[in-house]
Amino acid sequence: MDAATLCLAMIGFASLLSVFATIMAVLDRDLLRAALFSALQSTLYAFLFYVLMAPDIVLVYVAVAVGIYPLLIVLLIKKVGRFEEVGR
Amino acid sequence: MRNVVVALAVVFTVLLLAYATYLGALGPIPPNDLRELAKALLERSYRPWNPFNTSMCPEAVTAVVWDFRGLDTVFETVVFYGAIVATLALYRTTSRSLGLVGERLSLIVRYATLVSVPMILIVAAATALHGQLTPGGGFQGGAIAAVAPVVALVVFGRRKLLDLGVTYVKALIVRNLALVAIALTALGPLIAGIVLGIDAYVLQNQGKVGAPLSYPPWILDVPSGGSVILFNIFEALAVAAGFTLVFLTLALDEETARRELVGEDRGW
Repeated sequence: MDAATLCLAMIGFASLLSVFATIMAVLDRDLLRAALFSALQSTLYAFLFYVLMAPDIVLVYVAVAVGIYPLLIVLLIKKVGRFEEVGR
Repeated sequence: MRNVVVALAVVFTVLLLAYATYLGALGPIPPNDLRELAKALLERSYRPWNPFNTSMCPEAVTAVVWDFRGLDTVFETVVFYGAIVATLALYRTTSRSLGLVGERLSLIVRYATLVSVPMILIVAAATALHGQLTPGGGFQGGAIAAVAPVVALVVFGRRKLLDLGVTYVKALIVRNLALVAIALTALGPLIAGIVLGIDAYVLQNQGKVGAPLSYPPWILDVPSGGSVILFNIFEALAVAAGFTLVFLTLALDEETARRELVGEDRGW
């Protein structure tokens, strides 16, 4: 397998996994777990940006999407409660 | 079961779209030749042998962000500033009172954080100060630096952070001074031009034909990018202080935050 094919395979795998993580983040009723799925999606996107040769974006994306954003969400979850209520 | 079916359907759709794109549905990507625009940008971002109409900034992305499209970035900074002003306006006076939230975490977490916080700050400084040479720049550096106080806030608690001197007022002062510095860097050549009686542009970096003023293009033997390095430093400070302000405010406990807002929905 040559380098270009390997790169494409890695991009494909990371993309599909990120779609799965996004769906799980939307569907999960445990908000803390949803935040973790969202962080997983962000990590995969950071990887994608890196493979696609956009290191400038990676640097800001890692700090915001993997650091600041999940922390903000966790702070909010602390205020509104961990579990989404069903049937409202 | 239903969730899995939905998830698999979405994954399958994305896979189809990706395959169509790969087969060339959006035209040939990436283009095989370097387009004229790209050539012009690459040629002008770093050209020490002909110092007119260049940025003296080997990192082409940063050259575009802070020089070629500098006005866009200044407005972007203003939007970020406005967003933070809006957040702080919601909380107003509460931000300066001492509402506390949370307990500090365990010893292991605290010591691990103690080690990692200085490292985060060092990476942030390197990203911002090297912005004209390697990928990175002001916003990136600032966002990385902002992670340090935010992590410290969660791990040590708000009280400890205030004791260490990371206070609301200090962050506010740093942010405002940094924004004034960005404005002065942008207007600097124009002001100097008026004083000296020669033509100059707003956001001018290196000299242009008919407007010879330049920011120093070298720091010792390293290309400085002229105004780019100044913009990067001030932007990093503004962004880091802005994020810190927002998180210091959001870490207030609900009671304190709400006390100040009572009745405002009725126009009091």
